[in-house]
Amino acid sequence: MTSRPPTSEADSVTTSVPGRDRSPVRARPASGGGATLITFVGPSILLLLLLNAYPIVYAVIQSLHHGTLLTTGPFVGLANFANAFSDPLFWGSLKFTLIFTIAGVFGSWVIGLALALLMRRKVPAVGVFKVLLLLPWVVPVVVSATSWNWLVATSSSPIPVLAHALGFGTVLFLANPALAAVTVCLFKVWISFPFMMLMASAALSSVDPTIYEAARMDGASAVQQFLYITSPLTARSTYISWVLMTIFCVNDFPTVYLLTGGGPLDATTTLVVLAYRVVFQNFQTGYGVAIALLITIVLVAVAVALFRQIRKSVQ
Amino acid sequence: MNATPSSGEGFTRRGFLGTAAAAAALPLLAACTTGASPSTSSGSGGPGDPVKFWDMQWGTTSYIAEGKALVAKYAPKAGLASPSYQSIAWTNFYQTFASAIASKTGPAVSSGSGYQAFQFAGQGAIAAADDVVSGLKKDGEFEDFLPGTFDFLNTKNGYVGVPWQLDMRVLTYRKPLLEKAGVGVPTDWDSLLTAGKALKKIGVVGFGTGAGAGSLLAGQTILGLMINNGGGWFDPDGKPDCVTERNIETLQFLQELSRNGIMDPAAISYTGANLNDDWLSGKIGMGFNNVPSVGTALGGTDILVASPLKGPHGDMGALYYVNNLMMYTNTPSQESSNAFLRWYLDNMKDYWQKGVISAIPVRKSIAQLPEFQKDANSVKAVAEWQPISKTFASLGTKGNAALNAIEGGTAFTTFSQQVVQGQSDPKTILETLQKGLQAAVIGT
Repeated sequence: MTSRPPTSEADSVTTSVPGRDRSPVRARPASGGGATLITFVGPSILLLLLLNAYPIVYAVIQSLHHGTLLTTGPFVGLANFANAFSDPLFWGSLKFTLIFTIAGVFGSWVIGLALALLMRRKVPAVGVFKVLLLLPWVVPVVVSATSWNWLVATSSSPIPVLAHALGFGTVLFLANPALAAVTVCLFKVWISFPFMMLMASAALSSVDPTIYEAARMDGASAVQQFLYITSPLTARSTYISWVLMTIFCVNDFPTVYLLTGGGPLDATTTLVVLAYRVVFQNFQTGYGVAIALLITIVLVAVAVALFRQIRKSVQ
Repeated sequence: MNATPSSGEGFTRRGFLGTAAAAAALPLLAACTTGASPSTSSGSGGPGDPVKFWDMQWGTTSYIAEGKALVAKYAPKAGLASPSYQSIAWTNFYQTFASAIASKTGPAVSSGSGYQAFQFAGQGAIAAADDVVSGLKKDGEFEDFLPGTFDFLNTKNGYVGVPWQLDMRVLTYRKPLLEKAGVGVPTDWDSLLTAGKALKKIGVVGFGTGAGAGSLLAGQTILGLMINNGGGWFDPDGKPDCVTERNIETLQFLQELSRNGIMDPAAISYTGANLNDDWLSGKIGMGFNNVPSVGTALGGTDILVASPLKGPHGDMGALYYVNNLMMYTNTPSQESSNAFLRWYLDNMKDYWQKGVISAIPVRKSIAQLPEFQKDANSVKAVAEWQPISKTFASLGTKGNAALNAIEGGTAFTTFSQQVVQGQSDPKTILETLQKGLQAAVIGT
């Protein structure tokens, strides 16, 4: 077979010519390609830089200064970060952030998964239940927080009254530091489980029912089916939901702030709430932004760890 | 069958980290960005621009409408700029002002929080009101202002603002509940304790307060009682000095109230709404509060203002806030700002005449208006409480920028909650507060 001269532009970029071995990619027309690329991609890159990179860079600059909301202030190096590590309130906030996140992620996951499994069964009016179960996620947090406050805040609120009637004495859910921490975590679980339920439902719907049929024929119990079929086959989705919920929990400001303001006695102060209070109540911008940067570092580290776990599960 | 469809595809490490970083950046954005200035804002400060007047929402929508109407009445002299009116919501107001001032799109004249002028003065954004004050003195109007109200605003660089209304913390009570408990209205600390115990016996809270999310009342009440006992958080030179015998004595008294169940243990988490609910439902019989004048949440009820208490050493004193109007260096002309501010001070009586504001006026002539005299609680506050009231800067008399970071700051909140909880040693609580005060002073 002899080579023929190119008869079209397509041929010119795909046909291999002896002695002029060029890959198809390298053979693409070069003139104007770079400019086209920049024209189409440039605005997006610029927008991303403005929206993401600029605030982060500016935040880093602020964290190295002792500034106010109006001025950047004098350069103080890493003093703001050193202050954070020597501030008991920072460590207390970090501790509660961890508790809040662990409770929020796994509490909502357990309930969400259980409900998703329940919803797979033939339940009458399942659609109505699904809608009702989504309400905590759909209703604005400010409304939920006000409702929860009404339910538990004072000794004449419904739940303390009920607790008193059941013989538990006067239970002050938001006035006792330990109880307030538990209440805030429960509130977070309550508003988050519908998201986990949706994620789990989506993952479960992708599992082929014939696997369960085969397992049942092999005599697998319900627990065994969950452990050896459901769990591994939905693992990737589970890890992703954990990652997302971790980010939601660590960054969650309104849930805590609206219900307790971080109190009593800082018992429910998370790092985000602390950063807000430091910047907008103490007006220590540099220190507050330094705390926010530390949150970012911790979040990225957690996210990377979970991402590796996802890769393992995929492999 | 594939239980893990398209595994790994479209889910790259880079993409994931990008998402994670963007999500993680949210607190950064929340922390480092300032609120948007109102949409009506535009660059100002040039000739021909209006004198932008930003007014906080001191009342309902009727107040805003009246504010617009009032400003519209102003007819500047030839060569001076006309004003424009912009209502500012309290939500995130400080960020609103800060971002607008930083971008030179802020107001020329404004109302605001009690310490706002001091903080912005520290940034060089405030124009001294000395010419306005001189004008008031020259025209004989200075004496029309309630005594002591200008002192707080007078700094070494001049007056950072001019007073226009007061926010007072006074002892309030429900007469029917005191009668039911068989006690009279307290006149001193001992009778406050006695009345509290009597109210407790009939299942009523005798010292209602709140230290929960967003509520500053507990801290304000505690400081008010300290002032009542001849104490305060600063020395006469304005330096933090809160670990004093009088302050310790005050906290011991509050602990006694707590031990006797006169203070609701739930108050540590009470918001303003929780507190108002308890007042209105008759669960609280007594407590320090703002003046329950007509138009406030507790106004128009049987909640009355008591006479000031005498402290255990015979001192009289209470806490109040001098809300002020301030001018900014970013103005089309300082002369225009001065002229407008002076006119506003002379005409602001409209708010009280039309009943759209519930604050205590700072001008005697307004307090004597028939419309104001109808409100017995407000009249009593002006007649009996204002003369003995002192500011947050007490024992000092002059305001400063640090006060803005102190009131509502983390040290203030922790202090309030520790006192209301009633379990910590008073001296230790005050030593912690002292550190917080010093940090705030250094920080600003």
